[in-house]
Amino acid sequence: MARHNVRRRKPPTINQISAYFLHHLQSLIFSLGKIYQAPTTTIMTVAVIGITLSLPGGFYLFLKNIEAVSGDFRSSTQISLYLDLGTSEKQARRLEKDIAGMDSVATTRFISRAQSLEEFRRDSGFGKSIDTLSSNPLPHTIVVEPDEAETFTVRSLQNRLQAIPEVKIAKLDTEWLERLYTIIEIAKRSVTIITILFAFAVLLIIGNTIRLDIQNRYQEIIVTKLIGATDAFIRRPFLYGGVWYGLLGGIISWLIVEIGYLSISGPLARLNLLYKSDMNLITFSFQDFVVLIASSTLLGLAGSWIAVARHLNQIEPT
Amino acid sequence: MIEFHNVTKRYESGFQALSNVSLQLNDGQMAFITGHSGAGKSTLLKIIAMIEKPTRGQALLNRINLNNLSRQRIPFLRRNIGIIFQDHQLPFDRPVFENVALPLQIQGYRPQEIAKRTRAALDKVGLLQKEKSLPITLSGGEQQRVGIARAVVHKPMLLLADEPTGNLDPMLSREIMQIFIDFNQVGVTVLVASHDLRLIEELDKPRLTLNAGKLILNDLDQYDSGDQYGSS
Repeated sequence: MARHNVRRRKPPTINQISAYFLHHLQSLIFSLGKIYQAPTTTIMTVAVIGITLSLPGGFYLFLKNIEAVSGDFRSSTQISLYLDLGTSEKQARRLEKDIAGMDSVATTRFISRAQSLEEFRRDSGFGKSIDTLSSNPLPHTIVVEPDEAETFTVRSLQNRLQAIPEVKIAKLDTEWLERLYTIIEIAKRSVTIITILFAFAVLLIIGNTIRLDIQNRYQEIIVTKLIGATDAFIRRPFLYGGVWYGLLGGIISWLIVEIGYLSISGPLARLNLLYKSDMNLITFSFQDFVVLIASSTLLGLAGSWIAVARHLNQIEPT
Repeated sequence: MIEFHNVTKRYESGFQALSNVSLQLNDGQMAFITGHSGAGKSTLLKIIAMIEKPTRGQALLNRINLNNLSRQRIPFLRRNIGIIFQDHQLPFDRPVFENVALPLQIQGYRPQEIAKRTRAALDKVGLLQKEKSLPITLSGGEQQRVGIARAVVHKPMLLLADEPTGNLDPMLSREIMQIFIDFNQVGVTVLVASHDLRLIEELDKPRLTLNAGKLILNDLDQYDSGDQYGSS
């Protein structure tokens, strides 16, 4: 019965580090197997996580698009200079050249009184009534485009232009834009709040799923403890379970947002055609995708960590 | 191997499971713990398995005091013990092989070594051909043998069994006990709690009899100390 073995051989255990990585790999595969074995539960959990995360994801994308569109507006910021009616066209053209040489000025465009009137006659539909006027009421106009859109620069340029004696009014028509930006800022903060709340929700969903998982495997945990498993060994498959839930949930939320994006992009293309605009919908960049997946995976890990810390240590054989 | 010095265990409910129990089980010895249910058999095993701590007195395993172990040390000490339960405690969702290999995985054995030792343990209990079966498809006796294979696969120094034949018919019970005797013959210390007095009579091994938490019979001294097997 007794088998004596005097032959020297490799030690039966592998070194600590390889054993550690081997068990990580085993836990990873084991937890994936669990997910595969219980597809209904997994799909439901992952779908809840995906839907939950798709909300902040969708809002983020919406804001990103609004910002891109409003960025286009901002880059077209103009200051219109309405000159004194007594200014001659020659003086006005000279002034345009001077302004073109000023700091922070990108381009200038001169519109003479005659041109303005012509445009007005054509576009306004008041052609007939304009003809009854004895003289042209419109001033020479210089349209100045600043070289940057930063509010302070634009404002100071506006002040400098207003100070020119021939300039009657230097009009900066961006107040509505500033309002829009304020609204976007409010929306951004709301998205941050929503993101935090929904991240918490995901944390709770995953934590609860892992908690149930721990309860279902109560006996198994006790047996494993009794045959000498360390807490870390028992914890590992559950943590990987959380990681899988987070990862898959993140992918689902990405799919949901992408599908939503695709369903909007069709009508938007038609709208673009109708308005002859070239507004383009922006979707997640690769970086956004990585951030989304990484944060949902981290949420999965954190959620399972909380569940494991709370519940696993309470399980002791009796 | 195991020493109890005036061990008393009182549960929080106030129930006193063990009163002033002293005993010494040497390396390589085999003994049965008998007594009616509630006499303290399981509590005695639980103290050795580090599931419970003595309320008073000292319990030692390999000269290590079990009274004040840190939580971190317990897993490593438990690796010296093989525990067999009455209700075999096999996770049902993995095949027999995986169940038996678990202690080796926990201790970080190399995969080839795990396969070899697991098959050897299954062979020992006559279940080699069932390695791919799920425990739920096995009979009660087979499940118990899987439990034994798992308890011995890492060649522990000490084997603890709590009513291992509780649910089995006499013939299967005898087979199971014979497996324990075989392990004892190769030097493993074995402690079996059982109330199957008829079977114990047949086996001619020392007995520790408990009654209401008191050790009323201890004939360990009347048998060989066990060291004569243990030195193999």
